[in-house]
Amino acid sequence: MIYYACDIPEDLTYDIEHDVWIRFEGDIATLGLTDVAQTRCGKFAAISFRDIGKKVAQGKTLATIESAKWVGPFPAPFSCEILEVNEAGFAKDILLANKDPYGIGWLVKVQPTNLENERGHLVTGQEAAEKYKVRIQELKVNCLRCID
Amino acid sequence: MSKKIRLLYMEGVSPLRSQTVYHAVAYAMKEDTPNTIIMVSPNAPYVCIGYHQDMQKEVDMEYVQANGLTVLRREVGGGAVFLDNGQLFTQWIFHKSDLPSSLEERFKFYIDPLIATYQALGINANHRPINDVHVNGKKIGGTGAAQMGIAEVVVGSLMYTFDKKTMSKVLKVPSEKMRDKIFESLEAYMTTMTEELGASPDRTMVKDLYMKKVSEALGAEVYEGEWTADEEAMAQEIDARFMSDEWLYQKGRLQQQGVKIHQDVHVVEAAFKSQGGLIRIIARLREGRIDDVAISGDFTLLPSFALGALEQSIRGLSATPETLKSKIEEAYYRLSIQSPGVSPADFTTAIMNAVNPPQPA
Repeated sequence: MIYYACDIPEDLTYDIEHDVWIRFEGDIATLGLTDVAQTRCGKFAAISFRDIGKKVAQGKTLATIESAKWVGPFPAPFSCEILEVNEAGFAKDILLANKDPYGIGWLVKVQPTNLENERGHLVTGQEAAEKYKVRIQELKVNCLRCID
Repeated sequence: MSKKIRLLYMEGVSPLRSQTVYHAVAYAMKEDTPNTIIMVSPNAPYVCIGYHQDMQKEVDMEYVQANGLTVLRREVGGGAVFLDNGQLFTQWIFHKSDLPSSLEERFKFYIDPLIATYQALGINANHRPINDVHVNGKKIGGTGAAQMGIAEVVVGSLMYTFDKKTMSKVLKVPSEKMRDKIFESLEAYMTTMTEELGASPDRTMVKDLYMKKVSEALGAEVYEGEWTADEEAMAQEIDARFMSDEWLYQKGRLQQQGVKIHQDVHVVEAAFKSQGGLIRIIARLREGRIDDVAISGDFTLLPSFALGALEQSIRGLSATPETLKSKIEEAYYRLSIQSPGVSPADFTTAIMNAVNPPQPA
């Protein structure tokens, strides 16, 4: 779905409150910022990741993002262990998530540790699209991507 | 929004506490904690670096140590800054639901009472989006925002004075020429209440005025409140973390372009190895133009006066390769410049390397 220029792919799963997308592949989940989140955050200036192997509780910080305007956490949508971080990608191009939030701009790959009990708030498909329409209207956001 | 805002007024605390207080209120925040504004100033000067900066790359540690200055890392972004009691920091720690969700609107919400305070003092302050406060094109303060725990934090200051000379000395820069250019730029593009009014206004009067302007802007009562035991405990925990080598020396990740003077003005530098020698550029960029430039290096350029003329021909130009190359070629023709192994295209590349640093491979 494209709504107010915000791309919300319906094949992904979302933690809407935290604006995190999730791609489940077997036991592994890849996580990133949604188009809405990268737009609101603005151009990345820096990112620091927590260590690989770290176990992070639901809602706690997987990475800290700094943009020209703001510093804040990238929160875990569910408890998990960090398997891989996109540190090398962001070291080459700090704007990866501003250019391609659902592709090369992914942030962290994790293994969920308590997913069955912590997935109640996650949504996907048409349900996610409808909920994002409401959120985009509430936030009055028009999404923008970086091209260079 | 809750109609009551707690004010914590803390003039003259240690440099460490002037930073850790707002982190402590934020991380100790619970659902029933009131929205809080801290007005705080340090009792000694210090250097404060941004969350993702590398202290050893950004700060002239030799100068800092020789002058007994503390260096502290904050959990807010941006660059290194020299701070002292000439600034009264105004730190807002609010519940997310009580601030605008858009960062642009949030900065305006925070900056409006600062502007109203300055204007009531007779200073022609205005908001330079996204997050600067300007007086006739000069910056009188910047702001920053962060999320800490459940709290949203916005920080800035009321600027009585600003020690521009020391600010230019605490930064680690590649040359003294660059340091001079930073100082000149701070002189040209930063101002303070003392500079605008000819004298520093009474601090209690400014505090009361700011409280009144916050109250009017937010439609809320601002009351002088107490620091809680939970907040003190949290502050002690954060004091210890902020003093640890692990925190202070953490690897820097911030990719910056030169030194930001204000929203529209940056001082940048670059070097380019041409066939005829190394070209060094220090430039001040203002709104996409070359506001000022200094060219040096180990190349030969004749006649000897031509380097100054070349710099002069570049000042004020739009920072695009086409414009620069054409003007430099024109100066070469007009002044019959000879520079073995160095072409107008090389000068253009050197300047553009300063304007848009090449990406790492």
